[in-house]
Amino acid sequence: MKYSKVALILSWGVILACLLWIHPWKGADAHVKLGMQFTGGIDMMVAFKGNVHQEDVRNALYAGGVQQAAVVAYQDKPGVAMFSIKVKARKGQDEKDSTSQIKQITDALKSLDAKAASDHRLDLNTESVGAIVDTWMKANPLGVQGDETALRLAYEPWVDKVIKAREKASPMSDYNQLPSDLPGSLRASLEKDYRLGNLTILKNESFSPSISGEWTWKTLSAVGWALVAILVYVLFRFTLSFSVGGIVALIHDVLMALGLFVLFGFEFSVPVVASFLILIGYSMADTIVVFDRIRENSHKPEYRRVDIVKLVDDSINQTLSRTILTSMSVLFVAVCLFVWGGHALRDLAFPLVVGVITGTYSSIFIASPVVVFLDHQFGGKEKLKQHA
Amino acid sequence: MTKRSLWRLIFTTLICGACAYFFVPLSKVRLGLDLKGGVHFELEVQGHEALEADLRDTRDRLLDRLHEKGFPEAVAHLEGMTVKAEGVPADRQAEAQKILNGFSGYDAAFSGDTLTLSQKAGYQKSLKDDANKRAQQIIENRINQFGVAEPEITPTGAEGNRIVVELPGVGDAERERIKGLLTTPGRLEQRLVAKQDTTNGIGWRTREEAMGHFAGHLPPGTELLPLPLSEREARREGKAFQAPAAGQPDPIRSWVLVEEKVYVDGADITKADPTVNSQTDQYEISYVLNKKGADDFYNLSGIASEENRRIAVVLDRKVVSVLWCKEKIPGGAVRITGQFSKEEADDFALKLKSGAMRASMKFLEERAMGPSLGADSIASGVRGALIGFLTVIGFMVFYYRWSGVNAVVALTVNIIVMLGLMGSFHAVITLPGIAGFALTVGMAVDANILIFERIREELGNGKSVAGAIQTGFDRVFWTIVDSHVTQLVSAILLFIFGTGPVKGFAVTLTVGVTASLFTSIYISRFIYDWILERHPGTRTLSI
Repeated sequence: MKYSKVALILSWGVILACLLWIHPWKGADAHVKLGMQFTGGIDMMVAFKGNVHQEDVRNALYAGGVQQAAVVAYQDKPGVAMFSIKVKARKGQDEKDSTSQIKQITDALKSLDAKAASDHRLDLNTESVGAIVDTWMKANPLGVQGDETALRLAYEPWVDKVIKAREKASPMSDYNQLPSDLPGSLRASLEKDYRLGNLTILKNESFSPSISGEWTWKTLSAVGWALVAILVYVLFRFTLSFSVGGIVALIHDVLMALGLFVLFGFEFSVPVVASFLILIGYSMADTIVVFDRIRENSHKPEYRRVDIVKLVDDSINQTLSRTILTSMSVLFVAVCLFVWGGHALRDLAFPLVVGVITGTYSSIFIASPVVVFLDHQFGGKEKLKQHA
Repeated sequence: MTKRSLWRLIFTTLICGACAYFFVPLSKVRLGLDLKGGVHFELEVQGHEALEADLRDTRDRLLDRLHEKGFPEAVAHLEGMTVKAEGVPADRQAEAQKILNGFSGYDAAFSGDTLTLSQKAGYQKSLKDDANKRAQQIIENRINQFGVAEPEITPTGAEGNRIVVELPGVGDAERERIKGLLTTPGRLEQRLVAKQDTTNGIGWRTREEAMGHFAGHLPPGTELLPLPLSEREARREGKAFQAPAAGQPDPIRSWVLVEEKVYVDGADITKADPTVNSQTDQYEISYVLNKKGADDFYNLSGIASEENRRIAVVLDRKVVSVLWCKEKIPGGAVRITGQFSKEEADDFALKLKSGAMRASMKFLEERAMGPSLGADSIASGVRGALIGFLTVIGFMVFYYRWSGVNAVVALTVNIIVMLGLMGSFHAVITLPGIAGFALTVGMAVDANILIFERIREELGNGKSVAGAIQTGFDRVFWTIVDSHVTQLVSAILLFIFGTGPVKGFAVTLTVGVTASLFTSIYISRFIYDWILERHPGTRTLSI
């Protein structure tokens, strides 16, 4: 309890500083990066083979008439440059705009393919299964007899194999990467009709602005309901002061993770919100370990006459090692996901890393002092005994 | 081995076996679209269009009935969400009232010689529900005929007016075509080109020109519909065909004035196929009408041939083709010649075959995921999870020695149970799901740590090994339940509010928390008890 005041001032100070920097009340100007699912817009992920820089992509998009794109580069595999391209939807835009925008973006990106200018054949790396089947059904390089169905049956399995090879190579840079058992005539037909472009579209998502507001609302209400449900459960199992203490600690953890999340420039997406909800569940679980011990000790004869401060202090000390150990095990996993989980999981793991650390800390330095304070105000220690 | 331990062993083995059934071989595990690649759409049925369509239909019916029942001067038009019929004198209301029996979903009001019909709220709801149901059915039909393996089509949304379509293995290239198939209602109508159309069905070049011809007011009972320019036609006429940017409106060849009355409705089509005309080598669409449709078409062709007028084939409020009709045509087999490409003909026939939606769809969300991104995500996700898992195991064994091994066994059972439960729920593994999996493993260890720490504490208080284990488990039981329940609460809320990958995450967590409760309380205890049985009276515990 000695350090509780210092801790209280320090951690709420950090949160306040973060919030001041984010200034969420400024609406659109806030330092918050929202995913396209919340704002509405296009979210694409593309890969280029060879030496393509972030600036090239940006310039190509600009030249193609897409001015508002946010481009971020990733480098996962040697020789392949990956880019995330995001374009926010304008107000009142409907789905027709997004379709034309996607086309505009892909066209702009295709212009980066130097070979495409001199080579008008279709790109084997981006064509669909259906297109390749059609090519073969028309040319019929295997000389299959019969109607359309027979042709389709003959060629589809081969196309599947080609597509599998393409997925493995992603993208193919050499015709040698075609499956080795592909009949010579089919191989020749592909080499004749298709070039190997250097662009692959990995992901292509678009969200209508009309659904985005709904997502924000849904997400916030999920967080709200989670808090209420936990409050009620703890109220049912402990007393009101514990319930309030737990919730204050929870809010502290969420705000802290939120502040740092934004401070480090991560972007909110729906999975990230999911990880915040997990954080809520986890942080409370951690607090409950301490609360449980306080409740248990309050029954013991040696604590009958002592002040609540000593009761809480002792309980915290007795559970200290396990609170830290349990957090460690989850922290290991969260850190591993953050470091090795790839960039898709990084955003999701960050709030957990922060949340697990602050969750442990807040159980001790935030939740318990609140309980003590409320107890002094309303005399809840006696109630607690009746409850357990 | 005592009887109790034997039963516990049998029970545990049975559970593990039953769980293993759901995920062995591993190909039984279903991967989400974000891992497997595919297309995901979320659509919204535009229910108000169904209401408007019903209004138009009601206007036509009302007018027919009024003419039949002795109100030859009556005219009807739409105003807002009501049908107004003029030419019903106030003194003949009783007669008009009888006609209204056939319009049970409508409220009727007379004022002067005007009869106003408006939809009842309950009727509007049933129209919307019907539109939703029908939209889902038609999407199913169209997707099935398009030939996608394992499509998932599920209604969502509070009003049931949302439909989520998930098509695994479909690439970005096919997306546009499928989108087109899903959004257009596919409502085919056959009407007459209006008498007042002086261009004889060729139409005016622009809307303004047509409006100018009629001095700004179209003749009553008619409307102007666009006739789009098809790619083939443009090529044939030697014009440069500028393919419209995807999503932009098609270029329009002309505007045709047609009657508002629908003579033959697409709902009466029983069969439709794209065919190739052997003489002109062009694609056509042939379809067969049911009895009612055939009769309607017989009537329509009768009027057209007698009055020497043209028939307009209208699809989704666009004129597809304008036909001459020289004689009455019985039998209800119709062929539409037009300037179709093969793909256009295929899709056209498919829409007719699958039936018409009552309302069109709006795309709220669409995602296309390439399979290679998924493969990368799986690789890195599994790598992260695996490293995390191994670190935790290493830590437990290092810190708790043999008791740590106990925890590892419990953890292994935990994973088996989790996979089994997920398999039995037909849950889909998504990328956040993999993360959730790893996290629940971390949290499952938590329960073990709590128990072990408590046992250590009790041993420190001077209790015997058996006594310490007993009190350790008993004391910690409620702590574990409380902390698991709070986690379960947030997991369940995630399930309620989330969709797609998040739902997968929620399922993993719910299942993980449940499995962890079982393994930490039951399995770990069982292992201790069993070992105590084999070494009764042991004084030390490796913890």
